[in-house]
Amino acid sequence: MLNFGPLAVTPYTGNFGKSELLHLLRRTLFGVSSSDLKAFEGKTLNEVVDQLLNISSAAPMPPIRAYQGRALTNFDSGVPFGQTWINIRPNPAEQNPNGARRGSYKQWWIQLMTQQERTLREKMVLFWHNHLVTDTNDVVDLPDLAYRYNILLRASCIGNFRKLMYDITVDGAMLRYLNGEKNTSAAPDENYGRELQELFCLGKGPGSKYTEDDVKAAAKVLTGWTINYADNYQPLFRPNRHDNKDKQFSSFYANKLIKGKSTTTAGSEELNELLDMIFAQEETAKFLVRKLITFFIYYDITPETEANLVTPLAELFRSSGYEIKPVLKALFTSDWFFKSEYRGVMIKSPADFTIGMARQLEIPWPAEQNAFESRYFFASQLFNGMNSQGLELGDPPNVAGWPAYYQSPSFHELWVDTATYPARLTVIDNLVVRGISTGNGTQWVYNESKNKVFKADTVAVVKKLNSPHDPNLLIAQLVELFYGPGVSQSIKDALKTTYLLKGQSSDIYWTAAYSDYAANPATTNPDARQVPKQLQDLFVYMFSAAEFHLH
Amino acid sequence: MKRRSFIKNIPGAAAATVIGGHSISAAPSNPMLQALYDMMYETDRVLVIVQCNGGNDGLNTIFPLDQYDNLKVVRSNMLMNASSILKLTDKTGIHPAMAALADMYKEGKMGVIQNVGYPNFSYSHFRATDIWLSASDSNEFLDSGWAGRYLNYEYANYPMGYPNSVMPDPLAIRVGEGIGLGLQMIGVNMGISINSASDPVNLTGNIFKDPAPADYLGKELSYLREVQRQADKFGDVILAAYNKSKNLSSKYPVVNGTSTANNLTNQLKIVARLIAGGLKTRIYWVSTGGFDTHSTQVDAANFTQGAHANLLKGISDNIAAFSDDVKLLGLEDRVAGFTFSEFGRRIRSNASLGTDHGSALPVIYFGKNIIPGVVGTNPIINANADFNSNLPMQYDFRSVYGSFLNQWFCVPQADVNAILFDKFQNLPILHPASCLSTATHDQNTINGIPVVKVYPNPFVTKTRIDFESFGGFVRLQVFNNQGALIKSLVNNELNKGKYTMDLDLEGQSSGTYYARWENGPLQQVKGMLKVQ
Repeated sequence: MLNFGPLAVTPYTGNFGKSELLHLLRRTLFGVSSSDLKAFEGKTLNEVVDQLLNISSAAPMPPIRAYQGRALTNFDSGVPFGQTWINIRPNPAEQNPNGARRGSYKQWWIQLMTQQERTLREKMVLFWHNHLVTDTNDVVDLPDLAYRYNILLRASCIGNFRKLMYDITVDGAMLRYLNGEKNTSAAPDENYGRELQELFCLGKGPGSKYTEDDVKAAAKVLTGWTINYADNYQPLFRPNRHDNKDKQFSSFYANKLIKGKSTTTAGSEELNELLDMIFAQEETAKFLVRKLITFFIYYDITPETEANLVTPLAELFRSSGYEIKPVLKALFTSDWFFKSEYRGVMIKSPADFTIGMARQLEIPWPAEQNAFESRYFFASQLFNGMNSQGLELGDPPNVAGWPAYYQSPSFHELWVDTATYPARLTVIDNLVVRGISTGNGTQWVYNESKNKVFKADTVAVVKKLNSPHDPNLLIAQLVELFYGPGVSQSIKDALKTTYLLKGQSSDIYWTAAYSDYAANPATTNPDARQVPKQLQDLFVYMFSAAEFHLH
Repeated sequence: MKRRSFIKNIPGAAAATVIGGHSISAAPSNPMLQALYDMMYETDRVLVIVQCNGGNDGLNTIFPLDQYDNLKVVRSNMLMNASSILKLTDKTGIHPAMAALADMYKEGKMGVIQNVGYPNFSYSHFRATDIWLSASDSNEFLDSGWAGRYLNYEYANYPMGYPNSVMPDPLAIRVGEGIGLGLQMIGVNMGISINSASDPVNLTGNIFKDPAPADYLGKELSYLREVQRQADKFGDVILAAYNKSKNLSSKYPVVNGTSTANNLTNQLKIVARLIAGGLKTRIYWVSTGGFDTHSTQVDAANFTQGAHANLLKGISDNIAAFSDDVKLLGLEDRVAGFTFSEFGRRIRSNASLGTDHGSALPVIYFGKNIIPGVVGTNPIINANADFNSNLPMQYDFRSVYGSFLNQWFCVPQADVNAILFDKFQNLPILHPASCLSTATHDQNTINGIPVVKVYPNPFVTKTRIDFESFGGFVRLQVFNNQGALIKSLVNNELNKGKYTMDLDLEGQSSGTYYARWENGPLQQVKGMLKVQ
């Protein structure tokens, strides 16, 4: 007895206070800083969500040459230092620079995430990367293709799903990654035809009943698409490689017949027919909605979630012609999103953890003219930190994406194990205690790149809070900011006593030390001099606690 | 002058192969095997440190009975009747709330060191605590703790290659608090922190935990905490030791609520179980607070009662119960300890029935193998003492540390001096007993993975430092004994491999220096001695 519930999503009508705002921002940004909070405080739920969904379509500045430890001569010499390598052919007489370029691409992406605007874009780019998977290093290999794929996800991140599926099907990276460019009438390759249905649009749930013959027929529809390597990697349809026979689909697709064509537009016409057929399925809307819920709310999709959220959101998705933005708007303003049982219960992905920590701590990026060298280096270290926690950005483990987003029953728990938890501690250590340093080695092109450090200024972080000299208010605000779930007053008291009062009972000792330090960081008061270290120890402790790993 | 740990320069990897290559049965004859045998049978000694935060009022703890009349003048609003004070000796008494410790004194298991302090007292809690934890001079800022330096002396390679079969357990355990400066060695934690929860599941991992609720949040909290426990390299051994043993004493205060006394009860019960469970951990550090008694430290109607009396009773009852427990557990020979607080309080009480920050104070030490008694003389109380008057020190606090290191952990006096950066009086507070054989110490010194090797050591001006890179960013730094960075020898990415750097300390004063190596999350600190 399935209850299909109301057709419209129930909107959230409760109080939209600080804790609701925090919940919303935690799930939609990478980490929440006190500045993020201030930027949104006082706004209504609708205003906040509208702002999060107000995503500019402008493309960011492209990645540039800032390869670390590479000589400037005889290596990728067509690309001046600090200039982009996009669309510049490597010099075949030199060592292949694609490895360095792929590194540059990933470091560029990390910087976009860490320096994100206060919108949903970066979260959605990661969502699509995990959903419409291609890789960077192994199969796609060509850095220009990886970049173009990224730009496509970015530009379409809250646009039209049907249109995105068309674009991704003929995207160069995807055509390489799932063998589309090798799919010909003479030797059909079913790879993409299968994943289009199994992973991208319909899934393997009970509502998805496509057949093996449907996979074969879809593969035939898709024959003939290649990449024009000579012309900016544009999709190129070659009619002579296309299977021009009719393609018969199963009863799941109402016995749809796609007439075989031979013209130069046969590829796009048949692809459009194929997508129309797939998008006519109710399951297509439900499948993506479930994926969004898993990504933004919680993985456990109960029959109640199906009835109250999946079904009405899928209805909305279909009725809007598969526009993503209205679905997200309804999701983030829904009663379901704000249910207390879903707050602070999601284990942070390595990106949420690492990028989120750098953003929460508002670690400044070097801003000088020539500082791109150290910026790309710091990004490489954040990339490594995420990689050691099991998220290699740009290179998911396989076409299904990261298991933490789909593997039952553990889902997000897969992010944290006895190998990756210590890796998280290393990231804390690097960002809070040790600092990521460029060091004084000889590999730097610019002298001023030496001895640059990417490290949290813990005093600056607390200075932005209200009354940081009051240890009770300070702990309460840090708990609110850093911990997904709340903690009891006795835990707050223990944190205060241990780290701010150093075992003492009277609050005045913190107040005096902090006030002195805040007024004059060069103070000779020995208590005040300990303030940065006390805060550092407090942050390290809080970040290692289970509550920090939840959001 | 023999400085074994600094002179020793044994090539790496010896420890593990030696252990693996011998099957150890009974009655070994070779000294190395004797040492291993000793360790297998857990004969190591344990030091329990009880930290009392806030600054304890020594004059309302240990009473100078021969000064009673003058004390009555300066503390007329709070001094109890002389007849209420329990006598330890004819001249020295103890607060009646500490009756349990007075009994231990009679049994020869408790002693008092009078007037412990240091020149130029700091009256700031934070600063004074750091001075006590680091064993620094009053004007000196150290990045290491005295116990951390001792453990680095004993286990020179830690944490590289730890835990291992020779030392499978934490070197030191702090219960219920963050690790603290006392157990640190220039950025390396030489011990670990555990929770003081009475449920063993929450012992390891993060130390401050709410119980996990029965919902999605509880599910994920429990999952994360279990991973933390498993990832903690000592999580399993601590849990196993805890579960293997139980407390036998019935004297522990009954735990209800969250008073500081109860806090100490849980901590010491855990310590007793971990020792009984077979951990080879050398140092246990427990703490309690509330001693900052600026007001109403006594009950106005009854000066033997009040906040301070409750705190003292908590210390006394818990130490007595813990001592009873280790006796019943058959561990009494192996356990000794002492209490400390960052400072004493003013001679003259204030108008709000309290006392303000002061200077010297008594240290209480305990254990079956201590030499009981009152070390030192009663403080002289001047009836004209004003509100700023303070007690002068008789013994430097570092004498307490040095005496335990020398007499309990059998560290040669010259090495004690190197750990404490100076010579301090050795007080006869522990029975001279057979110290662990030299081979045990030598074995500990080479145990683990020696990444940093300094040779020659000691040296006059120049020496060499061998080290490794496992790939990635490497720092090799030289610190002096004040924790100041003297040289940064390496500060960049290094390919995997072995390296050597020359170190020239021409123009630097002689004394102890530290070579600190860091490679990603890995660290090692090695002591070295510059001689004239």
